This record gives sequence, C-alpha cells and structure tokens, in this order.
Amino acid sequence: MASTTSNGTIQVKKKPLLQRMQKYWGFYLMFIPVLVFVAVFHYAPMFGIRYAFYSWKIIGDPVWVGLANFEKLFRQSQFTTSFWNTIVFSVVKLLLNTGMAVIISLLLNEMISLKFKKLSQTIIYLPHFMSWVVTASVFSLLLSPSENGLVNQLLIRMGLIDKGIYYLADKQQWRVWYYIINVWRETGWQTIIFMATLTGIDPGIYEAASIDGAGRWQKMWYVTFPALGNTIITVLILNLAKIMNLFESVFVLQNDSVRRATNVLQTYVYYQTFNSGASADYGYTTAVGLFRSLVGLALMLICNYASKKVRGRGIV
Amino acid sequence: MKKLISLILVLALCAGLVTVTASADDKLKIVVMVDGTVLDQNNGRDAIEARWEELHPEYDLEFVQPDHSAYYDVMQQRISSGDWPDVLILSSTYYAEYAAAGVLWDMTEAWENSKTKNSGRFTGDNVFEGLKIDGKLYGFAPTRGNGCVTYVKKAWMDACGITEAPTTYEAYIDMLKAFRDKYGTYAVAAAGFVGTEAPYVNYLPEFYQDAYPFFVQQEDGTWVDGFTQDSMKAALQRIQDAVADGLIDKETLTNKTSDARNKFYDDKFGVFTYWAGTWATNLKTNLEANGKDGELVALKPLEGNPLYYDRVPPVWCITAKCAHPQEVFDGFIDTMLDGGDTQMLWEYGAEGTHWTREAGTVLAGTEKEATYEAGQFHMLENLEKAGTLYTKNHIDPMLALAGFEEGYDDPRSVEPEALAAAELFNNNSRLASIVPVTDVLSELNGELTTIKNEIIADIALGNMSVEEGYQKFADEGALDMSNEIVESLNALN
Repeated sequence: MASTTSNGTIQVKKKPLLQRMQKYWGFYLMFIPVLVFVAVFHYAPMFGIRYAFYSWKIIGDPVWVGLANFEKLFRQSQFTTSFWNTIVFSVVKLLLNTGMAVIISLLLNEMISLKFKKLSQTIIYLPHFMSWVVTASVFSLLLSPSENGLVNQLLIRMGLIDKGIYYLADKQQWRVWYYIINVWRETGWQTIIFMATLTGIDPGIYEAASIDGAGRWQKMWYVTFPALGNTIITVLILNLAKIMNLFESVFVLQNDSVRRATNVLQTYVYYQTFNSGASADYGYTTAVGLFRSLVGLALMLICNYASKKVRGRGIV
Repeated sequence: MKKLISLILVLALCAGLVTVTASADDKLKIVVMVDGTVLDQNNGRDAIEARWEELHPEYDLEFVQPDHSAYYDVMQQRISSGDWPDVLILSSTYYAEYAAAGVLWDMTEAWENSKTKNSGRFTGDNVFEGLKIDGKLYGFAPTRGNGCVTYVKKAWMDACGITEAPTTYEAYIDMLKAFRDKYGTYAVAAAGFVGTEAPYVNYLPEFYQDAYPFFVQQEDGTWVDGFTQDSMKAALQRIQDAVADGLIDKETLTNKTSDARNKFYDDKFGVFTYWAGTWATNLKTNLEANGKDGELVALKPLEGNPLYYDRVPPVWCITAKCAHPQEVFDGFIDTMLDGGDTQMLWEYGAEGTHWTREAGTVLAGTEKEATYEAGQFHMLENLEKAGTLYTKNHIDPMLALAGFEEGYDDPRSVEPEALAAAELFNNNSRLASIVPVTDVLSELNGELTTIKNEIIADIALGNMSVEEGYQKFADEGALDMSNEIVESLNALN
C-alpha cells in the first residue's frame, strides 16, 4: 500500500512479515534445505569451539583448562614456525601467482592467431585440474636426483651441475620448488579473470591510441595494464582473506627431512593429531584451529575494509 | 488431515509392536563395531550375518560398520558419546590406550578357560603374551599381525656368482656391493628411512639390527627411549655409510611403498624387505609380468641380528559396558577360530555368496576364466568389483593363529613361495611391544617423533654426522621431551 508524504514522495508501506511469507511461501519452502544445510554443517559444528578451553582425549569427560591450551600454543616453537610459514607461503604464493597470471594474460591477449591462443589457454588451464597428489608424484619424478629426474639431467647435460640435487630433501630448495609448482598449477586458472577483464576493454581506446601514434608496447603499457589494475587489486584482496587455508599443497610435498621447516598450521595440527602414537588432545588441536580461524577472520575484516576503500563495496 | 494422523498412528503402533517382538525374543543381542576388514554390506555382509546367526541361534548379531577410512573417527565419537558397542576391533595404539582408560573388559580369565586356547590347534601363545598389558588381556587376535622379510632376486645373485644367501652383515654388505658394481645401481630401497607406525624399523632390518627408535621396555621392566641408545647411533651410522656407498637408494626418503615396489619390479634394485606370505607371490608375479625373473630368495635374519618384527595385530575387544561379557566372549570371540564352520565363515565368507563347492565357471569370458567340478572349493566373483574373485573374509588363512579341526574340509590353497616366506617369517619373528599411553607421551610424542624422523633423514642423507644429529636432538629440547616421556612410563611400574 502506498501513501504520499507532505514533501511529495511516495512511501510504500510494507505488509507484515507473516503476510509476506504467506505470499511468497514457495520461495521460503525452497530456501529450507539451504537453511538446514547451513545450520547443520556450518553453524552446529561451531559448538565444538568450546573444546579449545578443555583438555579432551575423546575417552572420558572433557576437563576445563581455561586458556591453558593457548598458553601452550605460544610456547611451542613448532607452532610459531608453522604460523609464520602459513603467512609467508601464502603471501609469496599469492603475489607470484597473481603476477604470473597478469603477465600470461597480457601475452595471451597479444596473440594474433585465435587457434593458437585457445590452444595455449587450454594447456595452461589443465594443471589446475590435477589433484595435488598427482602433482606431487609428477614433480617428485621430475625433480628426482637419480637418472630419471628430468630437471637434474638437463642441468647436468648443460654442465651446470656435476651430480643430481635432491631438491625436495633440501629445506631451502624445497621452498623454491614449492612456489614454482604452485605457479605451474594455479597461474593458468587465475588468468581467466584477467582475460575476462581484457576482453571487456573498449577497442575504441586502442584505436584512439593507434591514431595518437602509440606502438604495441605503448598500448599494452598505457591502455591494457591500467585497465587490469582494479582487477589485480580485487583478486589480491579476495585471496588475501583465504590465506590461512593451506594444507594439501604443503602436505603432499613434505618429507621427514623438511617437515619441521615447512609445516603450516594445518599440517602442524595433522601431525599433532596423528603422529603422537596415542589419542591426541583434541582440546589443544581445537585451540590451534580456533587461533587460525581468528587470524583468518581478522584478515577478512581488513580485506573487507580495503575492498570498500578501493572498490566502493565490501568482499561479501 | 485426520486420515494422515490415523496413518501415522498406525505406523507408529506397528513400529512399537516390532520393537516389542524384538525385545521379547530371548536371543542375546551383540552389537559389533568393525572396520572394513570384514566384508561390508555391498560385499554380502548380510549373508555372513545370516550364516553366523544360523550357526549360533542363541545370539542376534548386529554389525555397525562405518567406512573403513573413517572407522576410528566414528568409533571414537561413539565411545565419547557413551553409546558403546558390545564388541569392537582396535589397532594396537587404541588397544593400549582404551585398556588403560577402562573402556575394555578384562578377558584374561575367559581366555585361559577358552575352547580356542585349549583346543590343541592354537599356535599364537607368543602373540597373546605380547598383547597383555600389565599381565592382563583385553583383546583377542585371530591372526598374526604379519611382518616383513628380506627378499633377494635370485637372478642377481646368480649374475654376481653368489651361491649362498648371506648370513652375516659383512656378507650381506658384500652382496649389496656386488649388485651395485654389477648393475650400476643401488641395491636396496624402501619407503622411508624409518616407518610411520610400529615396528618402525621393519623395512631396513639388516641396518637397524637391534636398534629401535621408539620407547622400549628393558628386561628389568624399566623403559628407555630406543632412539637415545648406542644401538640406534650405530644403526644410523650403518645407514649413512650405506647411502654414501650407493647401496641404499637415497630417494628412500621420499619413496612411497608403491614407488619402492615399482622400482623393484623395474629391476632398479635387487634386495627388498617387504611383507611375508601372500606378498611373496605378488612380488614374483609382478616381476614376471614386467618380463623379469621372478624367483626370490627370502633371507633369514642375519647372524647376531634379532628376529624380524611381527606387527601387533588388530584385536577384538569387549567393552566394559557390555552387559553379558562372558556370554559374548563364548559366543562371538571364542568361536572365531573354532576349527569348523564359524572359522570357515570368518576366513572365506558365506557359502553361495563368497565361495562354493558347486560346479561352475567363474570370471567367464575373461582371461582368468576357470571352471570347477562339483565338490571343488572355489571363491566366487566379487559382488562389487566384477572381474575379480574374493580371496578371503576377515581372517587371512595364512595368518590364522589356529588351523581347522582334523578332518574338516580345509580349502586352504597357498602358492609355495608364499607359504615358504610365511613359514620363514613365522619361525623367525617376534612381536613388537605395546607401549602404554601416558598423558605426557600423548602430549609430547607428536613433536618428538617429527624431530627424530628429521634427524634420521638428515643423518641418512649425510647432511649431518651422527654426533651432530644427537647434539641437535639435545639442543632442540627433544632429549628433555624424551626423558619426560620415559619418566612417565617408568612411573607406571
């Protein structure tokens, strides 16, 4: 029902909620499964957070320990290492992947042959669809120090090294290869969003630049690259909120020699749980998980704030 | 609406009646929680349950069988909720912990008076001694845990002019050097320089010898951390030397078991320590499938070396909340190795579903097609995986701790090389010990194990000397953790 106010604007009076629900009952009915799913699988498990304040080894009743699990957490050197590794691995990976995705997108955009462009796109997207387990197996073989290791054999034949290097067993080399493998697997997939932006650039701008005498490099530098700027920032911000979720890519590439130097929070929790030779203290591992979630939440709030500043709207 | 309410009421009444009928039945219900080591519902478990109830009409059997990979999660949730099953199957880690926490029924007396123990067919006294915790038995193992023996390629020995299998460490190393020199490759590979579960050292027994990286109880009953003992330092030196000499594949660090097996099949190396029994046949057939000579020589433990380790087998336990533990023991546990129809059921499954003696053809139209005459025992086609045959149910016939009664139609048919490897292992093995769980061990051992494994890997690869490794162990607080755990274990004495 609408009524006109004294200043001439029309004010629409909302019907009561129940009446509106009755009117749109079909939509509400369709929403029920989603509501139940979210409640059961996203909100109900949150009650488990309370175990962060207990000591609990599954058998028997949980024992209240207050903040003791968190005190223990900050005393453990492995926790600190894992926390910093999570941050460093994620941020470096994010910057490298995004940087490479931008470069490859620009190169793809410059390709004249449409067939070759499509073929190139397909080839660079494919690694994304390989599971991390398969990726780890493939790279273990490529990086093998034996005569089967392609990388070592190439370097030996080029005269750069005398004998095979065991890259995945070396703490420093492991990190380098971890980033390379991530770039190889994820960069192609990330180019999709940049390619979409590039496709949306008005061809008229390029024509205008040509009329102004701009060459190919100048058009790329002064037209294409600035057009990508907003997308790059958006991608960085959106991914920054997810940087605490690091497990599989690290886990499948680890071995005994590098495990402590390369643990991230989620692999740390895994080894605390399954490497103890006994039932783990689920209270402690929940505390680590809760800490990780809180850091993730803080990052998400920061990103949301940054997104509002940069894009004029939040990330959700 | 009234009709709907009436229908609901009728259904509820029917359900109630069914419940009343079931509870009025004087059968003793046994709720059994089991992992995927018993054939599951998709593989004819109902037929197994029906046959078991036919053999034991005084009981009503109910299986609770989560997905194999999720078994311990679901089992722990069930225990923590207080809704305990009557019987459950446990690995050695949970067995020791649950026994200490009072979750398990003490079956020591029931076992001593059991038909199985006193049958004259039982051969697992040493296994059961190893299962005792503070002299008490809380679980029943129908089989050995099995372990690894060292296989040497006969063709490689012949090519190097080695006519006798080595019996000493020196002869063993000479053989590895001969292999390395002849084939230009390492001679031994494994999946990891140290295992991820007890008995940890079973993939490189000739090098570890009497060393053990976990906690061990000495003869006087006191506990020590095997990693801190001189025997471990000597073992690490042997491994480092062998890797440096090119005798052990340095990629042992990152090898998975499948990698090690594939390298063996590809003739990348000649000496492989792997599971006894059926795996002897698998190794042989896979080598032959790759066009290699499949003949393998299983080595006895080297002179002066301890016996091979037999894994602590998974055990069947009765929970402390079971209302009739003795009856459940008599009906369920003590009949598993009865030497007759129940043992047949646990070893091979249900007749007509998993095996038969009727004439017929299995895997018709495939390369593995086989035709059997009436009376000839044979396994049937897998219900879930067409084109393959069932091989067993829960109990591996080759590992069973008791044979069938004399005169019972034992269908056991084992390849000669598998039997030879299994016999060699059974005659030359000892049970890995069970370490009781303390709060300190539970808290510290995760990090301690990670440090130990890193030091083992770094020493093996020559990244540090043995002395440097042990210095690192002390400097990084691992020695303190180790001492704390040892103290907590000794406090149990």
